[in-house]
Amino acid sequence: MDLPHFMASGMGGIRSAGDLVARMEFAKNMRAKDAKAYVAKKLGIDVLDIVDEYVMRDLREELGIGVVTGVPGAPRGIAAKMNIENLLDIKINSCEKFREKTQKR
Amino acid sequence: MAFESETKKLQDALISCKVPDIAKAVQEAHDAGMPAEDIINALGAAMSDVGVLFERGKLFLPHVLSAAAGMKNAMNTLDDELKTSAGTSQAKGVVVMGTVEGDVHDIGKSICSTMLQCAGFDVHDLGRDVPLKNFIEEVRGGCNFCGMSALMTTTMVGMKTVIESLKAEGLRDNVKVMVGGAPITQAYADKIGADIYGESASETTKKAQA
Amino acid sequence: MTEYYTRMGDGKRVTMTKQQIMDDLQAGTADAADMASVPSLDANELEHLAEIIMCQDRVVGVTPGNEVVLSYDIGQLDFTGDNGNSGNGVDMGRLEAALLHERALGADTFELAHSDYSIKPVKPVIAMEMQTMEEVQAEIVAPFFYGAMPNQGLYYAPDGPYGNPADLMREFKIEESMQQSELASAHVTRDIEYVATRLQAAGSDGFNFDTTGSAGDADCVGTLNGVKLLREQCPEAYIQVGFAGESIMGIHGMIEFDGQVVAGMYPHQYVHIAEKAGANVCGTVVNTNTSKSLAFNMARAVTFIKEAVKTSNIPIHADMGMGVGGIPMCETPPIDAVSRCSKAMVEVAGVDGI
Repeated sequence: MDLPHFMASGMGGIRSAGDLVARMEFAKNMRAKDAKAYVAKKLGIDVLDIVDEYVMRDLREELGIGVVTGVPGAPRGIAAKMNIENLLDIKINSCEKFREKTQKR
Repeated sequence: MAFESETKKLQDALISCKVPDIAKAVQEAHDAGMPAEDIINALGAAMSDVGVLFERGKLFLPHVLSAAAGMKNAMNTLDDELKTSAGTSQAKGVVVMGTVEGDVHDIGKSICSTMLQCAGFDVHDLGRDVPLKNFIEEVRGGCNFCGMSALMTTTMVGMKTVIESLKAEGLRDNVKVMVGGAPITQAYADKIGADIYGESASETTKKAQA
Repeated sequence: MTEYYTRMGDGKRVTMTKQQIMDDLQAGTADAADMASVPSLDANELEHLAEIIMCQDRVVGVTPGNEVVLSYDIGQLDFTGDNGNSGNGVDMGRLEAALLHERALGADTFELAHSDYSIKPVKPVIAMEMQTMEEVQAEIVAPFFYGAMPNQGLYYAPDGPYGNPADLMREFKIEESMQQSELASAHVTRDIEYVATRLQAAGSDGFNFDTTGSAGDADCVGTLNGVKLLREQCPEAYIQVGFAGESIMGIHGMIEFDGQVVAGMYPHQYVHIAEKAGANVCGTVVNTNTSKSLAFNMARAVTFIKEAVKTSNIPIHADMGMGVGGIPMCETPPIDAVSRCSKAMVEVAGVDGI
């Protein structure tokens, strides 16, 4: 079921900016249209471009927010999510927990 | 139509799901000379509507049971007269119901059992995760409907096993096999040789009554 | 007369004329409108649905720019599970499954799940689930939830300490049935608080409550009370409440959440109680009738969900799996049907996600 939906109507997750739009829907209760506009504004691109792999592949790597291909040295996991926090101006729970643990040391 | 006003009052009372109102309507119909069998048939028709209203979210299970309780009381009140008529007080059939072995999802089956009971069937509900041999035993014991439910594609195959076992033991012709549950379709029912497939509890009951 | 390839609700391929498709679309929208007392789809919307169905391309899709978020349920079980949950039967670790969904399958969110996919059995293994949550969070980028069904059925005999309400009802023990439902409901709430707050402490982005109300209205209330506690204790948690059907089944009949009887609520009504409880996203569900056509089921599902989208203050993600959202009920739903329902739900119902 994953692939037909992805092909028919999905944003594509970290292939494009689907994960970022999802975060705004969940973090701020934004409807899809508003969440997409918010993410596009933060990325400095048109709304149509946030689902364009051609645009997003390089932009994600430049911003250090995680990419689908294995790029040695590029931020992934918590590091990528910390960059997403700064980009979207939100807090992410796993990053908060990471900071709590490292600041205790 | 004879007793048109009484029939309407009986049906309205049953759909109101209020036991005292049902009793009052039954008494008034009886006092007006409406035959006991006709009273029960009118209530039975309204009971089918109650089942549909439950499935459409307009009535809830306690309402359905209150309506059933009202109907049960009516049958008790009219028992003597019903016995002298054409055997209407007899159950419409004896049904064994259960969710097949390995499957614990029983809410749909329980609702179907309730609807069948409300429609006048004698229901033996074996619950969930029922060993397949128990269905066979119930049929051997006299059940003439065998209802099986499953929510999982891994467990629904048990229905076919039961049908094959009924055939092997020479019991298949004694019983109508009914199947239902989320993954069950008419095509699957046809494939395994079941007699009745119900998309919903009320549809199953309707088909069992036919 | 031109005939178009389409599907029945059980997935079987059939051919229908445009008139037959239109008739079924009309019947589907009328059925939903009647059940939920919501507006039926208008002529333009029905024509659009007909065009989606009649398009003879193998796969259809939304216009670029109209894509929506795909949030996922059932976690790794779609790979590791058996056919009982439409799994591929490919055993793999939960970390690998999460990263594959993120990097190869276009998932916008994903989740960790216990193999039973119910909240109750998570309690005894909560430390293991917390550990795996921490491990996956260190690697994954997309929002990563914990997902489970409240599944109040597991709290009733013979699986749990409370009497089975449906059985008690059949014995005309109506009061006792209601009382047992209420006790089980409170137990579900306690277990949700126990499990969900611990997973948040392990760094989970949030919790996906899947198939809320599967055991009826008391299950729904127990879950919403649990959601309320989770929201109070973890204000930043991402919470998705997905329901079990197009209406909340009234097994108790009178149990309330926030002063409202929940039994009989339809998607445009239950989205509001989900929001009040603290959900960020509501998952709306419409079950497929296997004996009716794709056209009937699609129009029916879109009608219910369109009204929910219209009245909701929070994003709506339509449940679009096997046997829901107009999609045929079969283990391997045909992609022509899935893509058509996907497009219809986005373009006509206007959902925020799937």
